[in-house]
Amino acid sequence: MWNVKTKSAAFAAKPVVSLAGILALALLSGTPARAQIKIGFQAPLTGFAATDGKSAKIAAEMAIEEINAAGGELGQKLELIPYDDQAKSDQAIFTANKLIGEDGVKLVVNASYSASGRAAAPVFQKAGVLMISAYGVHPDITRAGDLMFRLVHLGPPQGHAAALFIGKDLHLKKISAITMDNDYGQATMDGFLEDAPKYGIQVVNKYSYSLSDRQFGSIVASVKRDEPDGVYATGYFFTAGPLVAQLRAGGVTAPIIGSQAFDSQKFIEIAGPAAEGTYIVDSFDRGRNDAALQKFFAEFAKRAGYPPENVAAITYSAVMLMADAIKRANSADPPKVRDALAATKNYPLLTGDLIGFNKLHEVIEAISVNVVKGGKMKSFTKLNDLEAFAPPEK
Amino acid sequence: MYYIDLGVTGLSFGCMYAMMAVGLTLVYGLLRILHVAHAAVFALGAYATVLVANASGSVGLGFLAAVAVTPLFGMAVYRLLYEPLLNYRADVPMIASVGLLVLMQDAFRIAFGEQGVTFRNNRFAFTTFDLAGVRVNAVQIAIMACAVVVFIGLHLFTTRTRVGIGWRATVSRPKIATSFGVDVVKVRYMNFAIGSALAALAGGLVGLLDNLVDPMIGYVVSYKALAIIVLGGLGSVRGTLIASLALGMVESYGTIFMGQWLNRDAIAFLALIALLMIRPQGFTGTRTV
Amino acid sequence: MSAYDVSLLSVIGLNVMLAVSLNMISGFCGQVSLGHGAFYGAGAYAAALTMIASASVALSLFMGTIVGALLGLVVGFASLRVRSDFLAVTTIGVNFLFTGFVRKQSWLGGEMGISGIPGSGFSSAGNMVMILIFAALTIAVSFYISRSWMGFAFRAVSQDEDAAATLGINSGAYKLAAFGIGTALAGLAGGLYAFFTQFITADTFDFILSVMLMAMVVIGGIGSTAGVVVAAVALTLLPEAIRFVNDYRLLVFGGLLVLVIRIAPGGLADLARRLLMREAKA
Repeated sequence: MWNVKTKSAAFAAKPVVSLAGILALALLSGTPARAQIKIGFQAPLTGFAATDGKSAKIAAEMAIEEINAAGGELGQKLELIPYDDQAKSDQAIFTANKLIGEDGVKLVVNASYSASGRAAAPVFQKAGVLMISAYGVHPDITRAGDLMFRLVHLGPPQGHAAALFIGKDLHLKKISAITMDNDYGQATMDGFLEDAPKYGIQVVNKYSYSLSDRQFGSIVASVKRDEPDGVYATGYFFTAGPLVAQLRAGGVTAPIIGSQAFDSQKFIEIAGPAAEGTYIVDSFDRGRNDAALQKFFAEFAKRAGYPPENVAAITYSAVMLMADAIKRANSADPPKVRDALAATKNYPLLTGDLIGFNKLHEVIEAISVNVVKGGKMKSFTKLNDLEAFAPPEK
Repeated sequence: MYYIDLGVTGLSFGCMYAMMAVGLTLVYGLLRILHVAHAAVFALGAYATVLVANASGSVGLGFLAAVAVTPLFGMAVYRLLYEPLLNYRADVPMIASVGLLVLMQDAFRIAFGEQGVTFRNNRFAFTTFDLAGVRVNAVQIAIMACAVVVFIGLHLFTTRTRVGIGWRATVSRPKIATSFGVDVVKVRYMNFAIGSALAALAGGLVGLLDNLVDPMIGYVVSYKALAIIVLGGLGSVRGTLIASLALGMVESYGTIFMGQWLNRDAIAFLALIALLMIRPQGFTGTRTV
Repeated sequence: MSAYDVSLLSVIGLNVMLAVSLNMISGFCGQVSLGHGAFYGAGAYAAALTMIASASVALSLFMGTIVGALLGLVVGFASLRVRSDFLAVTTIGVNFLFTGFVRKQSWLGGEMGISGIPGSGFSSAGNMVMILIFAALTIAVSFYISRSWMGFAFRAVSQDEDAAATLGINSGAYKLAAFGIGTALAGLAGGLYAFFTQFITADTFDFILSVMLMAMVVIGGIGSTAGVVVAAVALTLLPEAIRFVNDYRLLVFGGLLVLVIRIAPGGLADLARRLLMREAKA
């Protein structure tokens, strides 16, 4: 008896409350219900790339919260619509279609790997959706159309910068080149090989390994036989760590220069004392005297439990840049946001100053080089010779 | 010198694979089941080693913990997953095993993070020795030493002890073994226990060698170990050892000379398939085709 | 129908084709194939290259089918030399050989894959319809074979090759037939996939995919076309329907596989059969 009474009371109360709520809202706003600006988000939340996906998502959420705390853009709050693309092309297309069809999203930040970014780009372009690729390096991403933007240096320009650094700054002549055989590794190495002769670098030998390799005995033995002045390698932290450790353990004393994805505290953890002195080209200058950067650092470390890497920083900046473009365009309409983005000049990314975008919507930005010292990533130098590693125009 | 270097590398690869594959061979020899989830046992051993080592400060304690815990897991897998499926087609338990592996790998990712866990104080991977101009590190030596000990030990166990002989009998002639009073069920449990402990040992050693234990650490094991035991003649421990060393050598030299056309995994499988076509029973197996 | 629904149905159609074709090889004929992804991939690459060279949709799909079948026949010959477990490992090897080889060949796109594959000329909805028609055809072929003498021969070979020989069944020929037909359909699916995404990379056709396809066959019920279709549809929809499943995809997938095998090794088809029998008795 008791229960029935209480239940019906609750039942009766519910509709009254909601009705009142709706009335109140309608009275207060007087205009149709406020829409939020949806920002689509693709990242590899599961699968082999889950590490970066998780970092990217946390960073994006941080950016959204910060923007909304400051009042949002155009008087509206921003809403992140995240999907897991598992860093696979078919999932990328699938989730892209979801964002377009189900969620009606018009602006997307793609924080995933190259292949998935490449697969999603034409889908978005065809649907008139603007996409910023935070760190995906497949060249065809920006070629998919004028609504595509990329916030990271392409593989080949990174390789060009590495050649410049090794030849002009380190004055090394004989290099053993070790590539990770996926698109990122190969594209970067191709850039390096292309420009190496320009700086008098002679590539003694080329080697490659796959993503799942952790044992590099054969490569180490071969590099030892090469007796190079230096070693240039592309890879992710989980291959870079063992590789560098084994190179040093095997008796290779020449300087080791790594590519962007080496740039992680985890790399230092795995390689231990062997990591000392490793150079990393196109790295994340963590020690920059920048209040926003230090604040980001602290907050991200608190949320994730580990310090932020390049992926996190660039994703955060991608979202912030998107919001900034919306503000400058005074609209969330893709063509207008596109124009505002293309007109960006000297925008402070967490990773450095974005001087601007070129015709293909690739970044024009200096490249910083880190070195591992005392078990930490320290800034070594900054390559400002923009011409040497200019991104392609088409 | 270079070729000797490659040879030593091949040897250490080979011993690593041998340690990984021997547990799988033991299970197949007894039950004719391809225990793909062996890779999960391997990964579990690796995680146990690194987590306990980091918590206690002693790598040795980590190994002990791994070798103590994984047999329980292995026996549970037998009891809960394989035993009820013994009468079905051979691929049924194998696919269940694959399902278990996929599940466990994701569980490791969720529980311990995508980035993996590193050893806090890993002196061994960074301590190197110069043996006649070839550099090896302490872990590689440990792997090779362990492989030697394990295989000699298994050999002695199965030829000199009562329990071991009973085990061998159960593998080749289960009905006769029972009539001699061998408890087949006990043998099965022992089989899984020993196989799992060896996998855990291998896992801990590989984790120490890489200085990284990540959720995908079992991935390589799952298919390569399978291929190895097939090559070695399913069920033959001696064959597994030979096949492992052979594969290690092929990979070490092969990646340098064939690196432009095939990646490392493909080279291993190419060698495997080629051998299988020539000798379908593997190195030491008897022809059942 | 939104873009999402279209792409969802397309993926379902492709998965149905793949699972049903695998069922012909591993279910009907009992030849364990854990490398089905390789035939799917071979078909996709063949179709993509043909399309770029000829701009003919029909020719591309045809080439996809043929290349898939050719590769399948090669593997089929391997199955004549080795028995079940060895065969399983060989098919895994074929899968890795395929992806390992493709990634290194620049004329196959290497790591970058093949992008900018010309469209089929249909809209996405048109592509979806094409896929669904072929999927229906695949199911029809599967049912037909199942009820025909060929299906009987397949099952005989699957259960007891020696006994089958006494019936005058040339098990070798039938194994080849099973591989040829099953992989041809997988190759066709590959061609359709190439038009669907217009961008293919080697890692789509990896071992994990092959495992997932085998899981669909097992969960559906090895040998049952209807069961496999249901499983393919359900397992494609599940991550979409339940967010939790999407985030912990592999955990759920693996767990389901283990549970189904443990509790109902005959798969959904077997469950359905037993339920129907019980109803019939009552």
